Amino acid sequence: MIKLVNITNECFDSISFEIGEGSICKIITNSEHDKRILMDTVLALRKPLNGEVFLFNKNIYSLPERELLNIMKNIGMVWRNGGVISNLKIWENITLPVWYHKGIKPETIEDSVIEIFKQLGKDISELPEYMGKLSGTLPFHEKRLISIVRAMLMDPELMLYDSVLDGLNPDIAKKVTDITTQFHSKKIGRTSVYISSDEQSLRDIKADIVLMQYRRGLNYEDNKRV
Amino acid sequence: MQIINTQRIGKNIINAIRYSKGSFDLFFDSIRNISVLKIAPVRRVLYKQIYFTGIEASSKIIIIGALIGIVIITQVTNIVGANASLIGKILIWTVVRELGPLFAAIIIIARSCTATAAELGSMKVSREIENLKIMGINPIDYLIVPRIAGITISVFILTFYFQISSIAGGLALSTMFVDIPFLQQLENIFSILRPFEIGISLLKSIAFGMVISTVSCYHGLRVHSSITEIPQVTTMAVMQSLFLIFIFDVIITILSFL
Repeated sequence: MIKLVNITNECFDSISFEIGEGSICKIITNSEHDKRILMDTVLALRKPLNGEVFLFNKNIYSLPERELLNIMKNIGMVWRNGGVISNLKIWENITLPVWYHKGIKPETIEDSVIEIFKQLGKDISELPEYMGKLSGTLPFHEKRLISIVRAMLMDPELMLYDSVLDGLNPDIAKKVTDITTQFHSKKIGRTSVYISSDEQSLRDIKADIVLMQYRRGLNYEDNKRV
Repeated sequence: MQIINTQRIGKNIINAIRYSKGSFDLFFDSIRNISVLKIAPVRRVLYKQIYFTGIEASSKIIIIGALIGIVIITQVTNIVGANASLIGKILIWTVVRELGPLFAAIIIIARSCTATAAELGSMKVSREIENLKIMGINPIDYLIVPRIAGITISVFILTFYFQISSIAGGLALSTMFVDIPFLQQLENIFSILRPFEIGISLLKSIAFGMVISTVSCYHGLRVHSSITEIPQVTTMAVMQSLFLIFIFDVIITILSFL
């Protein structure tokens, strides 16, 4: 699903790893900056100095733009800061990719959105007013929850969670852990990758693969699922 | 003391060439992908753009148009007196051929060129354009194509509004104070107005719309990562749009009389 071969960039020296289909992986980096560089490299935003990145068995840095965008449709990205489009309302943000790529009319997915927000502990009676707000004005953790809903609606094969649990209150963090774990098992072969610079925040995630940054390298740590 | 700074002039010329090439590339990319307007969320961006650029500016355009019409008629009657035929001709020559497309374009530059460049610039700084890519959405398709189409359509419509209100304002004033019957003036206007004048005006408004939208989008996307770049690209977008619409105006006017 994800394969990095001898990647060298400003934070890492010749790192290689592979995350197979259906697995849950945790990646712990030394800093936010290193994490961002690694994410950007995996998502074709920052070409490495050396090495190759494969997503769905395709070398993403050698693909034409349109083909790369097609691959991206299969990735659900949850950014630490939400990654929302600030001039769109919350509802427009949530429904944008699913409406754009699948042509599903926003009004037909209301129930699915309500269900996910309910699981995230949101007061359902506030949702109609909440959905009409401009997303740019929300705090980061709220944007992150919107990003989770938006990514899940696309039902992607690969979920990437960037510091998804950092800074959340324990109650919300538990709900996010539960919903992301349940979502992982809803589709056979779905891969979920949690990446953070705060090891503690990911302690409740039961992963098949754990990768820890050590200086400018990444090491596997045996961590069999309990 | 060096009076002519050749290094600076050279740098400016190179930048002008670079910006022009970038704008052309962006424009042709957008034209190639114009079919994305079939996608519902892209159409939503197009409608929003027409609303913000075209509909919200229409009242101001109509007022300015009427005022310009009044000014032109006042000046003309002061020079040539109550000559209905000449008043009609001057209104057509100035308002339909020249001022309509030009004024509509200048108002759009003041209102929407700045807004578009600043909006895209801030989206670039906050990495929202990258986020669109990660969602599998081509930023050119989703952000640029509907903006170019929306602003061009808006300039076209606002030019028409400007011309109508300007002629109406001019005629109303001359009917009230210059003592020329309204119907006679209207008859004059219609007898002078040829499809050629309308065609030239239409061509100019479309060309201006494309120039303004492409230049503002191009400069908005030029922002890298710093918020301090936003006012710089906004100013650049305004100045370059103004400069280019005057150049296009001259070219179309000269070609139309050949």
